[in-house]
Amino acid sequence: MRIIFTSTGEGWDAKIDPRFGRTDYIVLYDEEKDELTALDNRAIMQVAHGAGPKTAQKIHELKADVLITGNGPGGNAASILKQMPLKIFVRAGGMSVREAYDAYKNNALEPGV
Amino acid sequence: MKEIVIISGKGGTGKSSICAAIAYLAKAELVVADCDVDAADLHLILHPENSKVQDFYSGVLAEIDPGKCSACGLCYQKCRFDAIEPFEGTYRVIDLECEGCGYCYYICPEDAISLIDQNVGKFLISDTRYGCSLVHAHLKIGADNSGKLVAKVKSEAKAIAKVQDKPYILADGSPGIGCPVIASLAGADYVILVTESSKSGLSDLKRVQELVAKFQIPSACIVNKADINPSVTNDIHKYLNKSKVQHLGDIPYADDFHKAIAMGRSLIEENEARWLPIFTEYWQTIKENI
Repeated sequence: MRIIFTSTGEGWDAKIDPRFGRTDYIVLYDEEKDELTALDNRAIMQVAHGAGPKTAQKIHELKADVLITGNGPGGNAASILKQMPLKIFVRAGGMSVREAYDAYKNNALEPGV
Repeated sequence: MKEIVIISGKGGTGKSSICAAIAYLAKAELVVADCDVDAADLHLILHPENSKVQDFYSGVLAEIDPGKCSACGLCYQKCRFDAIEPFEGTYRVIDLECEGCGYCYYICPEDAISLIDQNVGKFLISDTRYGCSLVHAHLKIGADNSGKLVAKVKSEAKAIAKVQDKPYILADGSPGIGCPVIASLAGADYVILVTESSKSGLSDLKRVQELVAKFQIPSACIVNKADINPSVTNDIHKYLNKSKVQHLGDIPYADDFHKAIAMGRSLIEENEARWLPIFTEYWQTIKENI
């Protein structure tokens, strides 16, 4: 599974960014390779409108199977994400990436719409 | 640190008055972020001072370098906003018409066109007479509020709350359900919906709650001017119940709202005996449910 976290930093200890479109980092954990990589998304600060769809495009390019975030994507982003074979989990804001991953493994995360 | 956002859907429901009353009551515990940048009003009550001011840039306008322009006229023909005109043998951009789409910049064979970042207003971090910090912005005429600006206001408020060790951010959001409202909801922990007892109040409440539900953020509602149309108020109560929005309370129509604004103070300062118990109860409920 390729699992994506919206995150405020780069590693396992970084906190989940509750925002989807304007998340600071997109952290990807590839379970098969046991590899954690981070994509700096902070350039999104310069985007006046349409941050959600832009971040959704990046999720698509990363070919993720699972997305773990905080508030959940807004309407426009959700309509793009729905086109992908992607499971979304929300309400992970405030957890670290590791805590969110553990919660996901224990089926303790709330599914997103 | 928890982020509370106050929004209304409809304008004129009393949202900012309610926000100011909560800010007054909980001043020791929070940083205030005025995200209603198009019609920022909180400064009228909070009286910001010692502001740290930064220029805010958003969007671009095209600019043609006459030294590089070969006067081919391609940009002039292709601009769908008719924002380019012949001028002294070459072409120039009419700033008021330019939408900053960048089409001319991409097609110009001479690379004579650049896109210039626009200074659309000021971004301020201020002290207030309540002692809490206020993050706000002043836009120039014609400039739009945007998700970018709201995200900036909120991220500065967060940084300040961290430094000052304040447990809450109170964000006054804008009316509607557009990009700035979405940006004000992004990352929020709790939403307070302020509506009024009118058909449009209910209709706009539904639209904005639909958006809040997409973000799966818990919300609560205050029905202002609840006595002016009891049957609509009843419909609002039914809607809140059905949509699992907590009902914080009803406020009857009160002259104190406009009197307080006219005097530049919060409802509680205007009439403490009446409003302090009400807002103390609201704030308690909010803190218990966040």
